[in-house]
Amino acid sequence: MVLKVYGNPASPCTRTVTMVCKELNLPYEVVVIDFTKGEHKLPEYIKKQPFGQIPYIDDDGFVLYESRAIARYLASKYANADTAILYPSDFQGRALVEQAASIEAFNFYPSVYGAVSERIFKPAFRGQPTDETRLQEHLSALNPKLDAYDKILDTQKYLTGDNFTLADLFHIAYSALLEQAGLGSLFESRPNVARWWKDIAARESWLAVKDAA
Amino acid sequence: MVLKLHGARMSTCTRTVAVVARELNVPYEFVDVDFAKAEHKSPAFTAVQPFGQVPYIDEDGFKLFESRAISRYLAKKYAGQGTKLIPTDPKDEAVFEQGVSIESSNFYPHAFGFAFEKVFKARRGLTTDEARAEEHLKTLAAKLDAYDVILGKQKYIGGNELTLADLFHLAYTQFLITLGQGDLFESRPNVARWWKEISNRPSWLAVKDGA
Repeated sequence: MVLKVYGNPASPCTRTVTMVCKELNLPYEVVVIDFTKGEHKLPEYIKKQPFGQIPYIDDDGFVLYESRAIARYLASKYANADTAILYPSDFQGRALVEQAASIEAFNFYPSVYGAVSERIFKPAFRGQPTDETRLQEHLSALNPKLDAYDKILDTQKYLTGDNFTLADLFHIAYSALLEQAGLGSLFESRPNVARWWKDIAARESWLAVKDAA
Repeated sequence: MVLKLHGARMSTCTRTVAVVARELNVPYEFVDVDFAKAEHKSPAFTAVQPFGQVPYIDEDGFKLFESRAISRYLAKKYAGQGTKLIPTDPKDEAVFEQGVSIESSNFYPHAFGFAFEKVFKARRGLTTDEARAEEHLKTLAAKLDAYDVILGKQKYIGGNELTLADLFHLAYTQFLITLGQGDLFESRPNVARWWKEISNRPSWLAVKDGA
């Protein structure tokens, strides 16, 4: 049975999952959940994903949610000799991916999500205006973090070293939204971050899903 | 060379690594990072941890930061001893990953957000925004309703065995309880059962008041 991704083409977390599928050359089928109609909050959906969030996968009856967990599961299960580098299994290589993935989850994502929420999600999906004070707070938090990213990327091509891994991948969908929100200068103004972003955003796997999962 | 844990005794993330090391029977040497002297922002420190945060470990020259990454590294490397904290069966491991991600995406932002308003802001000379603190509590309550459903179907947040996913909740849940929010956990039967069990593990009792 082909892997089913229950999500939405417009959802960044869905795109994270489908991008991983593309990296692994893993066929998948997106089952569209219309979040604008609240489909993700219906009892049928909540049975599979108790937080009412998208996406979740169904891999031959095995249901899993949380895009970063799904990514790790797929990379572990479906990697071959060429793609194993995405999520290495040696202790130190794996540790460096997990370090960078944790940086993403705690130092990058909260502020980026906040900024994108203010500029895009609130007006587009919740009928709420941008709260400029909160937006500025998110940007004030994000700027020093991106300075640290620029320092890390000054001496290495990707977040863990020479190779593109899941840790870099986890940044892509929301970075694209940051650009869409008119905040691309956060990256452009930092030479190493700009270089890294240009590289990872040009990956075929991203180009294949960025507009429609 | 014994594992060196560089951090602050009462730091939530430092205590997270400490509890994991104890579960694994991995000895460590605690090295204090002097916050009062802003040591965590010093060039020597940021050369290792560019975000100026604690903790980091130094294992014979291999340095690693981010408490959850450190925990994962120790759990994998020392899998043969102490408590098994990451499953080896692929599907069990996936459910474990789901549990870890549940903590970081659904629990932590609001637990931290509340603590930030009520405690951390004051330390920086800023005023608590009570409305935002309430917002975080309200969201956290809804998340814990989902936790109660999950914990009604499986024993722990990462499956039917204890894993790192459960341990990652210890420090901030304790923090919330000290801030008077224990009812969030006590009022939900499965959450209460789970919390009572994980918070009484000897490894946590040994470090909850200082790594």
